[in-house]
Amino acid sequence: MSRDIFIVSNSVDELGGVASWSHRMAELLTGRGHRVELIGICPAVLHKDFGDGLPYGMTTLYDGHPPAAWTPAYPWQRLDVAARRRQSAREAGMREAAERMNAMFRAARPGAVVIVTQVWAMEWVALADLKGLQVIGMSHESFETCRASSRFGRVQRHYADVDRLVVLTDEDADAWIRQGMNSTCGIPNPLPFPVPETAAPAARTVVSIGRLAQEKGVDLLLETWSEAVRGREGWQLKIYGLGEEEEALRAQCTGLGLDDSVEFCGRTDDVPGALAGAGIFVLSSRGEGFPISLMEAMACGVPCVAFDCAPGVHEIVRDGEDGLLAPVGNTSALARQLGRLMDDQELRDTMGTRAREAIVRYAPERVLDRWEELFALLEA
Amino acid sequence: MPSSQAQPLVSVIVIVYNDAARLPRAVASALGQSLRGLEVLIVDDCSTDDSFAVARRLEQENPGRVRALRLPANSGGCGAPRNHGVAEARGEYVMFLDSDDELAEHAARNLYEAGTRTGADLVSGLSVRRFLGNRYGKTDAWYPWIYSRTRTLDSIAELPDLLVWDTLSTNKAYRRTFLAEHALTFPVGILYEDLLFSSQAYLAAERITLIPNRVYWWDVAPPSKGERSLSNRRHEIRNFTDRLEIHRRIDAMLADRGMVELKYRKDVKFLKHDLVLHLRDLPFLPEDFRKEFAEHARGYLAGLAPEAYEEVGSPQRICAYLLGQDDWDNLLPAVDTLINRDKLAAPLAEQDGRVYFCAEHLDDPEGRKVLDVTAHGYHASPLRKLFLRNRLTHYAAGAQGVELAGRIVNPLGRIPADAKLAARLDFSPRRKGLKSFSFPVAEVRHDGDGITWRATADLARKLRPLGILDAVWDVRCVLTANGERTTTRLTVGDLDLDSAAAPAVRPRLTRLTGDRLAPHATARGHLAFEIAAEGAAARRGTDLVERALRGEASALANTAADRARRTARGALQLKRTLNNGDTKLKVYHRLLQRLPVVKGQVVFESQQGRQFSDSPRAVYEELVRRGAPMKPVWSYAKSTEGFPSGATLVRRWSWQYLRALAQAEFWVDNQGYPYRLRKRPETTYIQTWHGSALKKMGFDLASLKRQTPAQQAEYLAGLNRFDHFVVRSEHDVRTLAPAYRIGEERLLRVGYPRNDVLLREDAGKDRQLAGELGIDLSKPVVLYAPTFRADARGKVRAFELPFDVEEFAERFGDRMTLLVRCHYLNRLVLPPSVRGRVVDVSEVQDVTPLYLMADALVTDYSSVMFDYALLDRPMLFFAYDWEEYAEDVRGTYFDLLREAPGPVLRDEGELYAALDELEATGKEYADRRREFAAAYGEHDRGDAAARIADLMFGPAPAAVRAGHDEQDQQEREAGR
Repeated sequence: MSRDIFIVSNSVDELGGVASWSHRMAELLTGRGHRVELIGICPAVLHKDFGDGLPYGMTTLYDGHPPAAWTPAYPWQRLDVAARRRQSAREAGMREAAERMNAMFRAARPGAVVIVTQVWAMEWVALADLKGLQVIGMSHESFETCRASSRFGRVQRHYADVDRLVVLTDEDADAWIRQGMNSTCGIPNPLPFPVPETAAPAARTVVSIGRLAQEKGVDLLLETWSEAVRGREGWQLKIYGLGEEEEALRAQCTGLGLDDSVEFCGRTDDVPGALAGAGIFVLSSRGEGFPISLMEAMACGVPCVAFDCAPGVHEIVRDGEDGLLAPVGNTSALARQLGRLMDDQELRDTMGTRAREAIVRYAPERVLDRWEELFALLEA
Repeated sequence: MPSSQAQPLVSVIVIVYNDAARLPRAVASALGQSLRGLEVLIVDDCSTDDSFAVARRLEQENPGRVRALRLPANSGGCGAPRNHGVAEARGEYVMFLDSDDELAEHAARNLYEAGTRTGADLVSGLSVRRFLGNRYGKTDAWYPWIYSRTRTLDSIAELPDLLVWDTLSTNKAYRRTFLAEHALTFPVGILYEDLLFSSQAYLAAERITLIPNRVYWWDVAPPSKGERSLSNRRHEIRNFTDRLEIHRRIDAMLADRGMVELKYRKDVKFLKHDLVLHLRDLPFLPEDFRKEFAEHARGYLAGLAPEAYEEVGSPQRICAYLLGQDDWDNLLPAVDTLINRDKLAAPLAEQDGRVYFCAEHLDDPEGRKVLDVTAHGYHASPLRKLFLRNRLTHYAAGAQGVELAGRIVNPLGRIPADAKLAARLDFSPRRKGLKSFSFPVAEVRHDGDGITWRATADLARKLRPLGILDAVWDVRCVLTANGERTTTRLTVGDLDLDSAAAPAVRPRLTRLTGDRLAPHATARGHLAFEIAAEGAAARRGTDLVERALRGEASALANTAADRARRTARGALQLKRTLNNGDTKLKVYHRLLQRLPVVKGQVVFESQQGRQFSDSPRAVYEELVRRGAPMKPVWSYAKSTEGFPSGATLVRRWSWQYLRALAQAEFWVDNQGYPYRLRKRPETTYIQTWHGSALKKMGFDLASLKRQTPAQQAEYLAGLNRFDHFVVRSEHDVRTLAPAYRIGEERLLRVGYPRNDVLLREDAGKDRQLAGELGIDLSKPVVLYAPTFRADARGKVRAFELPFDVEEFAERFGDRMTLLVRCHYLNRLVLPPSVRGRVVDVSEVQDVTPLYLMADALVTDYSSVMFDYALLDRPMLFFAYDWEEYAEDVRGTYFDLLREAPGPVLRDEGELYAALDELEATGKEYADRRREFAAAYGEHDRGDAAARIADLMFGPAPAAVRAGHDEQDQQEREAGR
C-alpha cells in the first residue's frame, strides 16, 4: 500500500547523521512507492547540499532560526517586557509553522504517517492537527547518551502521546520501556551503501574515522595506540576526521612519541576509499548511537575493534565473532584487543569475512520491511 | 480499519462478580486500547447486584465490540467464568481482565505485536500493583527482574523463575488455538486456579515471549477492617490445603515431564514464599489450627528436594526444621525472625565454639547444621546493634492507664545477672517528624535467659496526638543494661487484643478525629495503637472525613478537611525542604560562605567522618602539642564515640558542619569533603590522602576516562580545591599526582603524618589497647589486613576469610595471636571457638597502634603494605586471587608479584608454611624490604606532622620542640 509519509527533522539540509538518515530513508521509501515529504523546522547552521531534482519533496518552515524558548526562573522575571514580546512572537511563529504543516497533512491520503526524527521538532508537530495520522517519534542516540543530556526529560514529555517511539536497537527500546515509554520499539539504521563485491587486500594499517571531538575519544585512541604499537613494528594508525580537538590531539600524539606511527589524514567523503587496504578499523568513542562507521567498515570486510559504549555497538559487532570489543574507557583492554588482531593475520581474515556476511542483515530491504510492518501495526 | 465482523486480533475476557460500580472502568481500559481489532467479553458469575445489567448496557453502547455473557449459577471463583469466556472468544489471542483492574495503555498492541513477531503461544508482560488511596500514589511492579528485557523462550526450562514466581494469568496473551489444542482450562471449585492454569500454560507452550512493557494494572484496594479478599484469607485451613493440592498437581506435571531442575526451583520458592505466607500467621492462630496446619505442612515438606533447604535463608530453614520436629516452643520465636529479618528471637546456645538457635536438637546432625547461626555474629555484635525479641505477656487498660508487661530475650546470657537495668516505653507516630512520648518502665528484672518488665503508661493523660497525620502509634521498649542501650518492639503473639479495652485519648487539634487508642498487632506482629472513634461526636466526625475522602461529603466539609490535612502536611513538607541537600548547598554557597573566616579554625575529617584517625589526627595532635592558636573542629559521620573532647564535634552534612567549613581557615582531611561544596579562596585545604596506590586511581580509571567533558570538569573542580597534596614518595608523584591532576606546585613532599610514630625510636606497643582487645603480648602478634574486592560493576563483595580460621587457631593458636582487620567496607564474624587466638580488630579506629603491636603483617593488596614497610618487620603477601584482582576493570600501577618485599603466597598451605618459618622469611627478605620502604616511603622521615603544622601556623616555639616528656602527657589529653 502506498502511503503519504512526512519525515520531520530540525533541518533537512544539515551536515550530520539525522539529515543523512532522513534523505536515505526518503529515497528508499520512495523506491517502494510511497510519497515522501521531508520537513525541516529551520535552515541548518552547518549546511550540506543534498542536490536537486530529488524524487521526494522538501520543505523548511522557517527562514531563519526561531527565537529560543523562554522560561522565567524567578517570578519577577515575568515582568521582562522584551522577553515576553519575544516569547509571544515565538508562539505566533510556531502556530504559523504548524498551520503550514496542517495544510500538508490535510492533503494526505488515509493511512498517512508522520515520522519525527528529533524531539525538538516534535514541539512544532504537537501544535499541528494530527487527527487521522499515525505519529512516530524517534531518538537517534542510545538511551544512556540521551539520559546524560537535557533531551531525556523532553523525550519523555513531548513523545508521551506518540503512537510509537522508535529507537535504534531493541536493547535501547527495552530501556525506554522500563523508563515508562510503553509504546517503543527498535529499528536499526540501513546500510549506507551496498556491500562491495570484493574486499581489498589488507595492509598493516589501523583506521579510525570520526569527528575530532571529545565524544569520539580520539584522545583515548592515542593512549591505546601507545600501548598497542609497542613491540609491533611496521603498524600505522590513520586518523580521518576534522574537529575542534585537532590541535590538542596532535600535541598529545607528539607528547606520547607516536608521530612515526600515527597519521592525521583530515576529512574524507570517500569512506570505502579510506577503508580500502585497512587491516583493522578502530572505534574509540565515549558515546554512540548506531555507528554507521562500524557498518561501513564491516561491509568492506575490515574487522573492527571498539569500545562497547552503546547497545548499537554490540548489536553491530558481535564480540569475538566478527570483531572485538572492550569496556568503554579501558584503554589497556582496547589495546589488548587491538594487539590480538594485529598479531594474528588469520584472525583478521576470518573476522573480516564474517563481518561482510553478517552486515547484510542491515540491508535496506530488510530495514524497510520493518518500517512497513510498523505502519501496518499502528493501523491494526 | 477492520470491521467489527472480521476476526478480532485480541479477545479480552472481563470477569465480574457483584462489582457493577467498577466494571465500566475495566471495560473502558480494554476498549480504549490503541489496538483497534479487539473484542470484549464480559462474563458475569451470576452476580446478585446489577453487574449484568451494566454489562448489557455496555454491550448496547458498543455494538460488535462488547458481548455480555452470564453463568447460570454462581461458581464462587474465577475459573468457571474465564473458561466460559475462552469458549466464546473469537480473537487470535485471548487476554483476561478482572473487573476491579485495568489494562495498561498499549497492552494489547504490545502483546499482540510480540506474539505475531515471534510466533509465541504465550506472551507475558509486566503487571504493576497500584495501591488505591495511597497518598503517594504507590505502585509496585510484580517480579520486574523477570521482565527486565524482551526475550523469547523455546521452553519454560530456560527460565524456571517465570513458572516459579509469576503465577498470574492476567498479564498475558494466549494464542486461542494453543489453548484449544492443549485443552487448557482453569480448575473449578478450588482456590489458586491461576497458579495451576499458568503452570499448565507455561509447560505446554512451545514458545513464550516476555516483554518489559506494563500490560496490567493490578489495583489493590486500601485495607478495610474486617473483610479480607478471596486469596488473602489465609486463616482458613482450606486456603492452605488448596494451595498444597495445586502444588501437588503441578509437581505431578513436572514429574511426568522429568523436569527436575524446575521442580527444585519450585521447591525453593515454596520454602521461601508459600510456606512463609502461612507461617507468618501462625503466632496469631488458635492451637487446634496450628496442629492441623503442621500435619498438612509436614506431609508436603517431606516431598521437597533436600537440597532446596540449603538454598533458602537460615530463618526459613530453621522454621521448616522445627515444624518437622513439632517443636512449637522454638518455632514461634523462629517465625518472629522470619517476619522480622534482623530480630534475635531466641536466647541461643553455645556449644563447642559454635552458636545455635536453640539448645534442643543438637544431637541430631541435621539439627546441628540447620540451627547453627554462628555466621550471624549475634555473639560478637554489641548489644545496641541487636534487635531482641520482646514478647508481650500482659495487656490491660485500667484507670491508671495501660498496663503492659513483657519478656526480652537475653541471648547467651550477654546481659549479666548483676547488670544495672532500666527501661522506658517510647510511643511514636508512624509518620516521621512528629512528637513522640516516653513512659518509664517501673519494674525490670533479670530472669535467667530473659529480662522481664512491667509498666503502666497513662496514655489518656500524657499522650496527646495531633489527631491528624498521626493516627498510628508504634511502641518501642528501650532497655538499658550497664549503660548500653538496645531498642525492642513488643511482639503481641496470641495475646487477644481484639477484645481488649482501648484507652481514651484527647487529640490536640480536634476530638472529632477520634477519642480512643485501639491496640492492634502490625503486619510484623508488633503492638501499635490507632486512633479510633467510639463516642457519638467522634464517630460522626470520622464518618465525615471518610466520606470526604470518597468525595461524598458536602463541598464545605471537603474543603475544611482538605485544608486541615494540607496545612499539617505542608508544615512537614517545609521542614523536609529546609533540611534537604539542595537547600543546604544553596545556603552554604550564598550565605554561610559570606560570613567572615574565623582565624585559626581548622576542620578535620578522616575517612569521611568515620574515624578519629590517620594523618588528620596526627596533624591535630601535633598542633595541640605545640599549643598552636587553633580552633579545632572534627567531623563525625555517625557517632562521636572515640572523638576528642578538646575539639568541637560536628556531624557530617549538618548545618554546624557546613558553617564550620564555610568559615574555616584550614581544611585537613584524607579523602574528600562533600564534592558539591566549593571552597572559598581564603581557606587552605591540606589533603593528606589515605595511602599510596597499587590499583589505578582517579583519571586513570576507565570510569572517568569515559565521562563527558562536563562530568570530568565537575570531578576536576572537586580536586582543584586541594591547595596542598601530601605525598610520601616519587611513586606517588608518578601515579597519584597525574591521576588527580595535581601540579608540581601543590605537592607537599613531607611524608604521611600518620607514619611519624612508626619512625620514632621509642614507639612501643600500646598495652592498654592490647588489654581492651584481650591480646596476649607475650606471644608474637600477626596482623592480617586484606583489602576489599568488588565485582565487575564495582559493587563491593561480602567479605569471607580466605582460609579456615578454626584450622588456623588449632594450628597456630598456642604460638601466636592473629589480629584480623577487614576493610571498612566489609564486615567480619569470627566463631566463638577461636576466642583469644584470633581477634577481630576491625572496629579499632586508628590502625597505627595495631601496626606497632604486630610483629608481622599478612596482607594482599592493601595500601597497608606501604606504611607497615617502614617498621622493617616481616611481611607476607597472601595473594590468592592476584590475576583476577589485577586484571579486572581497574588495573594496577606495578606488578606486585615482582616487587613484593616478602613471600607471595598463593594458597592456604603456602600461608601456613610461611607462618611456620616466620623468622627465616623475615631475614630472607630484609634487603628487599628496605628497598621497598625506600622506593615507596622516601619522604617519610618522622616529622611530617610538624612540617605541616609549621606550614599552617608557622614554626613552633623552640621550647615545645624540645619538651619531649611533656609531649606524651599532652598527647594523651589530645587523644580520647
